[in-house]
Parts: sequence; structure tokens; C-alpha cells
Amino acid sequence: MIPLLSDPTLHTVALGTALLGVMSGVLGSFAVLRRESLLGDTLSHAALPGVCLGFMVTGARSLTGLMAGALVTAMLAAFAMVFLVRYTRLKTDAALGIALGLFFALGVVLLTHIQATGGAAQAGLDAFLFGQAAALSRADLLPMSSVGLVAVGLVVLLWKPLKLLTFDPEYAAVIGLPVRSLELLITLLVALTVVVGLQLVGVVLMTAMVIAPAAAARQWCCSLHGMVILAALLGATAGVLGGGLSALIPGLSTGPVIVLVASVIALGSLFFAPRRGLIPAWWRQGHRLSRTSSDRVLETVYQLACEHGSGRYRVEEGAVDAYHGIATAAILVSLRERGLLEAVDHMPDEGRHWRLTNEGMSYAAARAGRPDEAIGV
Amino acid sequence: MRDKSANRPPLHEPDLALHVEDLTVTYGERPALWDIDLDIPPGVLAGIIGPNGAGKSTLIRAILDLVRRSAGHVRLFGHPYRAQRLRVGYVPQRSSVDWEFPTSALDVVTMGLYGELGWWRRPGRSERDRALRALEQVGLEGLADRQISELSGGQQQRVFIARALVQQADIYFLDEPMAGVDATTERAIINLLRELRDAGRTAIVVHHDLQTVRSYFDWLILMNRRVIAQGPVEHVYTADNLRRTYGGQVALLDTGHDPAAL
Repeated sequence: MIPLLSDPTLHTVALGTALLGVMSGVLGSFAVLRRESLLGDTLSHAALPGVCLGFMVTGARSLTGLMAGALVTAMLAAFAMVFLVRYTRLKTDAALGIALGLFFALGVVLLTHIQATGGAAQAGLDAFLFGQAAALSRADLLPMSSVGLVAVGLVVLLWKPLKLLTFDPEYAAVIGLPVRSLELLITLLVALTVVVGLQLVGVVLMTAMVIAPAAAARQWCCSLHGMVILAALLGATAGVLGGGLSALIPGLSTGPVIVLVASVIALGSLFFAPRRGLIPAWWRQGHRLSRTSSDRVLETVYQLACEHGSGRYRVEEGAVDAYHGIATAAILVSLRERGLLEAVDHMPDEGRHWRLTNEGMSYAAARAGRPDEAIGV
Repeated sequence: MRDKSANRPPLHEPDLALHVEDLTVTYGERPALWDIDLDIPPGVLAGIIGPNGAGKSTLIRAILDLVRRSAGHVRLFGHPYRAQRLRVGYVPQRSSVDWEFPTSALDVVTMGLYGELGWWRRPGRSERDRALRALEQVGLEGLADRQISELSGGQQQRVFIARALVQQADIYFLDEPMAGVDATTERAIINLLRELRDAGRTAIVVHHDLQTVRSYFDWLILMNRRVIAQGPVEHVYTADNLRRTYGGQVALLDTGHDPAAL
């Protein structure tokens, strides 16, 4: 184990994937909150032709050249999307789809062309589809971390304008913020994140890295800065764990492993986060159920019968559920077993109805303090 | 976000809180607003009334530079809007925001001070206190730390109002603040607006309910893509003006009787 921990390749991978995780978490938070999650998808797929063009221009697999090309085509796709939305009747989702298809298809054509005609230098270019952490070199870390530092630094610097723009773009415009420029900046920063992640996670799955850490963090946090910080931590965790795993086990593509870890974190958060998670919500429901006494449910049926002036009044189960905020079927059945309620049918398009029996009527009336009053029949 | 008022244009109609001349806004090929002339004096509680599609929201948005003007100009206390954004408070319709955003009521109100703070300064203790006081004014101080997704419709509306109030602006624009709120909240809002008016501020409210116009407002603007009538509410709220504003939709008012009897 110790030799593995001091393995320089692992260090490089861990640093690179941690950096990627932090950037994804930070920028992904803004993309997700602005409901532009799929923008990351289009940008990453559109980076592929740029990587190929960068290779064709520089003739070698130098990361800076490839990243530059990737950034150019990703931003072109973003502009294409904006152009389509502004000047045609297309909505954002269709415009994103068109840009994605166009650019990615172009990228695959270029990639297969290079693979058919290129020499040894092109080997490993297809690693950009799904990521290959092992191909990351020490020298690659420098351009990656500079870009990362600039991106996260800009977010910290422009925190207030970005927060306001994300929450209420119209109010931001009223205050005098340059909304269009800030939106362009966010798009550019997401594109930079995608470009940094290309080699590690690949174009196909990078979108998940933009979305998953932010979606997970949202479940735990009630403030924007909390969410962004947690998303960065969760992204880094997924990156290091996934990257490390894929480096240790030969033959595994890095991208899918990192994304698997990130998705597990996201799903776990959706299910288990205390305030917003599904499991705690179910537990709270069950808790409320056990605290709702059967006497109170009987009282509800009784009150409704009184208000409708008839002891034979049929109460639909859904109405009792709504009043108590829980599913009361079990309680109603137990009341039937005690002989206090009986189940009846009413309209065919409605649910089960319940009605007081004579014993139920006397019992409920006694509890309500009116034993001698008989409700009309 | 700071106003660069070094090269201010000369003052134009400085005695009016709001002066609009020849305002025209086009959506697609048809004018949504045409040749709007408005003069509103300071210190009034003004209502803007008209049928659906009359362009009431568009008018507010055009005044605030949210929508491009095809023609006309706007002056607030004699200056263009851009020169004094901080003197203007805006309460939009509730639907413009994603209420699932991770933030508390106090935080939303504090965002109302971002214009004053500029790009770099972070909100501190005095900003927090001002935001709390604004929440007190709308009766929500107990909900300061509550997530906005957990607030009711009326409470969300009041948070928006507090966000505008915290600026201590001289003129407020409110776009249908009473839409979809309960009667208690509506009473609270109108009392708040009256307090603002009594303190010398100006409030301009897009309103949807004809029944309450006479009791709520001192100044009234009737519009339907053009201004039909404007002025003190007793002069403007007449059967004739209402008929011209609402066209066939308020034919019931053509009784010749005093509208107050309806």
C-alpha cells in the first residue's frame, strides 16, 4: 500500500481530479441553479472538434494546444445556441440539442479521420471521449491549475453580482448589473471547467460532473455559499476516489468511474439528506402516523357527520388523509375492527368511504361531551 | 452598479416624480404601448388600471429600462432612470424568481442593498440590521432565517416588498402586489403603501381589482395601450372613462349612475 501512496502518477492524478472536482462543483452550482444544467453537456460535446483541430494545428498532443482548441469550439457552440434562441423560434433545449449534435458529429468525423491518417502522435486522442487519467502528466497540471485558479478566483471576486444574477436576473438588471456580460462570463467559466475535465473525464460524461456535485450539495445546504463550498468538496472527493480507483485498476476508463462515484454521492444525498431527503421524509411521515391517535381520526369523521347533519354521512378516505396530513388507511381499518366505523362505497370514480356505526356514534359523541345528542339519520 | 453621474443631462421636469413623454414600446410588429404621456407628482399613491393586455407591466418595465423603448423619454425627479437607480425601488410580479434557490428571507432582503454596496463590499452588520428592520415593516421579522421555499405566497410577496423598502427609495414601482395574496396580507400591503405616501414617498402600483381602486389610491391612471385618463382619482374614476378603457368589457357600468353605488 505504501509504495502505491507515494506513486508520483497517483499524486498527479489525485491533484488533477481534485482540481477538476472543485471547478465542477463551483461552476456546476451556478449552472444548475440557473437551470442550465444541459449547457455543460453541449459545451463538453462541442469540445471534441476543438481537440481534434488543436491536434491538427499543433501536430502533437500538447495539452495546452488541445485545451485552446476545445475552448474555442465550445464557445462557438454556446454562441450558436444563443443565436438560435434569439433569432429563431427555437427554445433553449432544442437550440442546445442542435448545437450539440452539429459539433459532436463534426468532432467524431475529425477524430476518425485523424485516426485513419495520423501517425503515432495521434494515439490516445480517443482517450478524450471517456477520459484517461493515466495519460495525465506532471506538465499538464500547470495549465490546468492556472485555469482553475482563475475560474474559481473570478467566482469569489464577483460573488455578489453572480449570486444576484442567478437568483433574480431581472432585479440584477434593474440594479444596473451588466446581465448579458455576466451571463457570458458564466458560460465561459463553465466552458473552462469542461476543458479542464476533458482529459480526465472525457467529453461524453463531463456533463455529469457539472451537475452531480451541485445537485448533491443542494440537498444539504440552505445558503448559496454553503452549497458552492460543499459542491466543491463533493466534486473533489468524487474526483480523487474515482481517479484513484481507475489508476489502480488497469484498463479502466477514468471518466465513468469518477462519474459513478459522483452519481452515488448525488443519489445518496437525494435519499438521505436530513431536511430534503426522501428517506427522512418518509420517516417523518411514519412518525406522524404513529402519533395520530385513532380517537382523533374518529373525531374527524364524527365532526364531518355533525356538520352534514347526518350520522349516516359517508366520509371519503382522501379527505381524512388530507386533514391529518398522512395516509390514515391503517387507522381507519383498526377503527373498523373495533366496530366503530364501517366501509362503504359511494361514487365509482371516488375512493373508499367510511361511516360511523351506531357504536361509533355513541363513542364519538361521548368523547365530544354530548352523549344525549343524536345526529339526524 | 454605482451611478456615474458626472455627465448628467440637464434637468427636465424636476418637480414631477415621474414624467413620461411619447413612450412607445413595440413587441414584434405591433405597439404594446403607444404615445404614452404621464405626469405624476411626488408624494402620491398612484394606481395604474386597465384590462388584460393593456401594457401595464410593460409600462413599468419600459420606465425601468428592462424593455427597449421604440420612442419617448422618461424622467424621474428630472433625471433619467440610469442616473439614480438607487432612488427607485421595484417590486416585480412574484413569478420572476426560482423559489427553490437556497437562501433565507433575510438574505433576499439584504440583496436589495447590493446596489448600494457596489461590486466589492460585502454586507456587514449595519446592512443586516437594515434588512431586519425592513422585514419588521412587513411583519416578517420572525421568519428572517426561514428558507424562502417554505414561505407562503403572501409571505413571499412581502419579502419582495421588504427588499425594495430596504433601499429607502424615493419612488416605488409595484407590479400587481396584491395578486394572489390573502385579505390580511392585502390590508398590510396597502397600509404600508399609505405609510410611505405619508412619509413623502411616491408609490406607483399596477392594480387589477376595480373594486378597491377608489379606497386605495389618490392618483389614478387608466390605460389600454394608450393613456385614457390620469389625475386625482375622484376626477378620473368616472363611468365614461372606465367604458373607454375597458371597451365592451365593462358595459355593465353604462347606467348613468354614480360608480360608487356599484
